[in-house]
Amino acid sequence: MIRFENVTKVYDQKARPALDSVNLEIDRGEFAFLVGASGSGKSTFLRLVLKEDRATSGAVYVAGQNVAKISSWRVPRLRRGIGVVFQDFRLLPQKNVFANVAFAMQVIGKSRSVIRDTVPEVLKTVGLEGKEHRMPHELSGGEQQRVAIARAVVNRPGILLADEPTGNLDPTTSMGIMGILDKINQNGTTVVMATHDDDIVNEMRKRVVELKNGVVIRDEAKALYTSMIPVVGQSRRLKDASGRETPDAGQPGEGEGQR
Amino acid sequence: MRLAFILSEIGSGLRRNLSMVVSVILVTFVSLTFVGAAGMLQMQINQMKGYWYDKVQVAIFLCSEGSTAAGCAGGPVTAEQQQSLNSLLESPAVAQYINDFQYESKDEAYKHFKDQFSNSPIVDSVTPDQLPASFRINMKDPEKYQIISETFASQPGVETVIDQRQLLERLFSVMNGASLVAVSIAGVMIVCAILLIATTIRLSAFSRRRETGIMRLVGASKTVIQLPFILEGVIAAVIGAALASATLWAVAHFFLGEYMSQQYPDTAFISSGQTLILAPALIILGGSLAGISSLLTLRRYLRV
Ligand SMILES: Nc1ncnc2c1ncn2[C@@H]1O[C@H](COP(=O)(O)OP(=O)(O)OP(=O)(O)O)[C@@H](O)[C@H]1O
Ligand SMILES: [Mg+2]
Repeated sequence: MIRFENVTKVYDQKARPALDSVNLEIDRGEFAFLVGASGSGKSTFLRLVLKEDRATSGAVYVAGQNVAKISSWRVPRLRRGIGVVFQDFRLLPQKNVFANVAFAMQVIGKSRSVIRDTVPEVLKTVGLEGKEHRMPHELSGGEQQRVAIARAVVNRPGILLADEPTGNLDPTTSMGIMGILDKINQNGTTVVMATHDDDIVNEMRKRVVELKNGVVIRDEAKALYTSMIPVVGQSRRLKDASGRETPDAGQPGEGEGQR
Repeated sequence: MRLAFILSEIGSGLRRNLSMVVSVILVTFVSLTFVGAAGMLQMQINQMKGYWYDKVQVAIFLCSEGSTAAGCAGGPVTAEQQQSLNSLLESPAVAQYINDFQYESKDEAYKHFKDQFSNSPIVDSVTPDQLPASFRINMKDPEKYQIISETFASQPGVETVIDQRQLLERLFSVMNGASLVAVSIAGVMIVCAILLIATTIRLSAFSRRRETGIMRLVGASKTVIQLPFILEGVIAAVIGAALASATLWAVAHFFLGEYMSQQYPDTAFISSGQTLILAPALIILGGSLAGISSLLTLRRYLRV
């Protein structure tokens, strides 16, 4: 479903690449976590899938298509096949729950009747039935994230990208969100989630892809947040600092402080 | 659905930065009024040219009752005098300079006068007696006016020789100058309008960046994302153009049609109906200026 072939992304010629010769394949229906320190290239990975940025070299395939070959007027069609969820929810504050979800259907020209039928159904999937008419500020963070997930999947995309969707939520609420993402994944949607949340990763026991300084240093099925295999010394060190990474000794300034 | 959605987006956009929209309307209104004023001046010139310019270049007015010119001491022109003037015009010495000439009697002069000033109240106060008979000469080369003037001014029965073209030319050059001034002011104002539209669209895009960001992510097409912004600018500019057209109509109707034609009853002014043909031109001009400037702005400030 998503395939990276030798993908390198350089934002700034003077800095190290944000992604460095990444080779990775995520199959249809898979659930994968992207983990790694701040600045390791997780968001960059997701941006390349969305064609928000173009790879400096290498090829990114989404649903069998090389995204570099998609002409700009066809990019919307690519994005209709991908749902996205962010840490900061990104709801429209002046629209209620129903309208926020309906917005994603309106702008791609879905008919009023289809919207009327689909939105309540999706809201039910994320556990928000009965809250259609609440405004975003009347919802808890967890509920807001559910609205954002509903909006991301309402057009039935084949892929759901989530960039630290639980970053602003407490552990219990986060597990609720994970339950929803798992349910969506069970329905056949490929889910890729970038996260710093070790508890969640350890709980879910899904595929884990670990990035460090733009390089894939681990790719394990049914894995934990930190490697069980002590071969990779670097990830050991990351564990010690889980959640609040210290700058890597070898490359000062490449860590959190830069963001 | 998509149309309804775009319309509601436009509505909310217009409401959200109402003051900017109002200023776009006013700036396009003022600039297009100047453009239209230049157009009206040209129409006025053509109106006057249309009647006189090619028809008559030199007029030899003949003495009538009450003429006070020196050549008219012998009273109104006699039939013989008129005959001899006619022969003189047909003589090879003069004929080589002219294309053709016509005799215009007092009655014909009155009829032309009535046609020309049909929308002016002076018509009612003029009688055929007050208008002199004349020879109307169409010159091969208008520059040779001097020759005709020298030949005829001293002939008996001639009141005066007038190069109408020269009179008109002077008036037209004043009017052309005025329309040039109007066009220059319009040019500056149009630059203002374009910059203001660009700023407005930029602010509008900025204030709705959340929406457009989400639209982008869920795969809305470029058209759906950009059209509301472009139409917002176009609608404001078209309203401004409509106001400008209404103003020009009002100027033609009230100022020219009622006030000026009272003050200068012997001038043919354009009618208010004629200014209406400027309206579509102004609306298209305003709309396309706004459309192009918002399109260019969006290319820079709204990622799609
Ligand atoms: N638009 C950009 N322009 C320049 N450099 C960028 C840009 N976006 C990201 N970077 C750089 O690319 C590197 C990877 O950034 P990225 O956002 O992918 O990290 P991340 O893994 O998502 O981090 P975090 O966990 O903090 O979200 C960082 O060094 C960052 O400074
Ligand atoms: Mg990130």
